[in-house]
Amino acid sequence: MPGNNSFFVIPGALDEVKFSKSFKGLTPKMNDAKPVQRFELLDCHDQSLRASGRVLIEAGGSLHLLKDGETISQRCKGKGKFAQNLPAGPVRDALADFPELRALMSVGAGQIENRAFAVLDDLQKTQVRGTVMTLYSDRGQVSLVAAQPLRGYDRAFQTVCEYLETTASGVTGVEPLFNAVFPDLTVYKAKPEIRIGTQEPSIEVATDIIRTYISVARQNEAGVIADIDTEFLHDYRVSLRRVRSVISLFKGVFSPEQTAELKRAFSDLMAPTGRVRDLDVYLLEKEDYFRLIPPQLHDGARAMFKQFEKERTQALVRLSRRFRSQAYDQQMTTLAKLFADPGNLQPGPNADRAAYEYACALIWKRYRKTCKLARSITPDTPDEDVHELRIDCKKLRYLMEFFAPLFDARAFKRIIKPLKKLQDNLGLFNDFSVQQEALHSFVQQHSNTQGRADAQLALSIGGLIAVLDQRQKAERDRVIANFQRFDSPDIRHLFRSLFHHKGD
Amino acid sequence: MKIIACYSNKGGVGKTATSVNLAYSYAKAGYTVLLCDLDPQGASGFYLRVKPSKKLTDARFFEDVARFTKSIRASDFEGLDVLPANMTFRDFDVFLSRMRNKRSRLKKALVAAGSDYDVIILDCPPNFSTLSENIFKAADQIVVPVIPTTLSERTFDQLVSFFDAKKLPKNKLKAFFSMVQRRKTLHQDTMDVMKKLYRKRFLNSAIPFAADIERMGQNRAPVSVYAPRSAASAAYQSLYDEIENGVVSNT
Ligand SMILES: Nc1ncnc2c1ncn2[C@@H]1O[C@H](COP(=O)(O)OP(=O)(O)OP(=O)(O)O)[C@@H](O)[C@H]1O
Ligand SMILES: [Mg+2]
Repeated sequence: MPGNNSFFVIPGALDEVKFSKSFKGLTPKMNDAKPVQRFELLDCHDQSLRASGRVLIEAGGSLHLLKDGETISQRCKGKGKFAQNLPAGPVRDALADFPELRALMSVGAGQIENRAFAVLDDLQKTQVRGTVMTLYSDRGQVSLVAAQPLRGYDRAFQTVCEYLETTASGVTGVEPLFNAVFPDLTVYKAKPEIRIGTQEPSIEVATDIIRTYISVARQNEAGVIADIDTEFLHDYRVSLRRVRSVISLFKGVFSPEQTAELKRAFSDLMAPTGRVRDLDVYLLEKEDYFRLIPPQLHDGARAMFKQFEKERTQALVRLSRRFRSQAYDQQMTTLAKLFADPGNLQPGPNADRAAYEYACALIWKRYRKTCKLARSITPDTPDEDVHELRIDCKKLRYLMEFFAPLFDARAFKRIIKPLKKLQDNLGLFNDFSVQQEALHSFVQQHSNTQGRADAQLALSIGGLIAVLDQRQKAERDRVIANFQRFDSPDIRHLFRSLFHHKGD
Repeated sequence: MKIIACYSNKGGVGKTATSVNLAYSYAKAGYTVLLCDLDPQGASGFYLRVKPSKKLTDARFFEDVARFTKSIRASDFEGLDVLPANMTFRDFDVFLSRMRNKRSRLKKALVAAGSDYDVIILDCPPNFSTLSENIFKAADQIVVPVIPTTLSERTFDQLVSFFDAKKLPKNKLKAFFSMVQRRKTLHQDTMDVMKKLYRKRFLNSAIPFAADIERMGQNRAPVSVYAPRSAASAAYQSLYDEIENGVVSNT
């Protein structure tokens, strides 16, 4: 309908000669093209803009966001920046839902050409205005034609739109743009779908999952090296952690020797990434830390964060060097090859158990163990048991996620909701405890041989530890209630009916 | 929203030329402008290449807001829209004389259909009529082009007397000298006399007699579009500045 710009994605080039001769009493006139510019296609690693039907282009120092037949522009650069850190403007506003931890990065590049056109009547009066934006790469081109209605000239606008719609031949959305200009651009998925058959031997399931996550981890290496945003390393670690949990949770699927060997291999891969991730987390929470303590204590905290920043730079240099090394590449390639085929692995006693039956057994057992521990927790239980519960819940959650394709999605959703709530609670409990320890050891490191630390620093850290301790206690106090919510008759019944079958 | 009428009870004095160029100046300054052509000849629309409206008849103009709104056309210039006239507008008077509240119908119609605009400029036909009384009532300012000749002096006297007789607010009247030829002593003398006589009614800005303005008919665009550096363009700009901002330039 007129009133709004209409937008047409035309694969290839717009046939201008045909366009200019297609209307009775109206003549489209193309203006001269503006000079061709280089453009970069911006998105984050997992292409969330593309997934939401948007395209963000940076060209000539401006950002252009295309969505629903509309183009929003803002004069600023975006590459390498976080959406929320862009200067105030319409593009930033339109990107309000962009993931906060993800930076805008170049996912493709090419050339862009802009031309305006006017559709004139017999008095040379403009009845419709428009623009043709042509994007091309060495793989192909696409024309984005926008038509703008002018008040009182609805009929001409409709005529032009109908023509363009026919030319676009029903093509809508932004996918045609990607298909035409960036056909090779694959979409990164942090959690790819992995198909499992109910009767599939468990060793095949394990191998599929591990192979998939080795590949996901590898897709994050370049982003870590380029230091685009902290999510790359996070995803890398999550992927390897998934691999490790398959190895340790799918008991008896691989031989004991191989299990031990693989556990070691993946632990060794994880170890060098830990420090950078810890520092990333501190730095991401920097502002929260400052909010926890009064301004008089900020000086010491500032000094500490300066130190963290310095240390992170060094740690990242080391990690990047490792990621770029031939030895590392070879190690990963070898592992990927190993998991390319289940036949490469030494089977354990459970290797051939059918996936569904095996899943039920594992989940049911883990569920019972978790509940037993949780039900024993009282206000007097030592913190260690609460930590233990966190780990059990995590294992339960991993198992359920790995085998989810075998079960009813709606039932899983109902279970996961209170489980997640409990896990978030336990996670915070753990974070507050880990943070206290880290702060403590930071002061120790920055103390002299007599154990004396800089007063400013010690004041800030003392303040932080006190607040964190309060928070940890508060989280702990919530654990029992959160577990009871998870331990409802409804959820118990669901677990039983999903995973515990007579004769097991 | 404010309403500015370009009015004179004399024909051919530059009302339409002023309406179009003033409207363009307002739009250039960032205002949203509706140029409303009340003259059945449709000269304003002609200058902006907008064809006469077929469906907006005189009665509908006052009674059918939807039709009024639908008849508005975008000009080729950002912020400037046009309500084109048509031949039935010559019967406005007959129509209005039969109405109740016959002197406030125009204001009502403009408020109903044009309230989205910052400025509405009325290009008026030259006469005293029920329509012109509507115009006097609706307009916040009435811009009156006066050619500095004896005959024009008389028509301006008539206009002021009319305002006196009808007790209309004379401070709405903003007269200016139009088609001025400085080399003609008659023009100079008339201007001197009238400025003294109507000290408060005359703006300082004047529009010279200029070939660039005559050429509007061929170019069908505001003067500043095809002759941006001409004296005529500058004169219209200073007329705008004085009307809108009270800025008086010494020309
Ligand atoms: N300043 C000027 N210098 C030279 N020619 C002018 C000037 N202003 C207007 N004209 C020309 O004089 C003629 C009458 O001008 P215009 O149509 O603006 O007057 P008007 O008052 O609107 O006339 P009408 O009463 O017929 O509506 C037009 O041909 C126009 O091009
Ligand atoms: Mg006229």
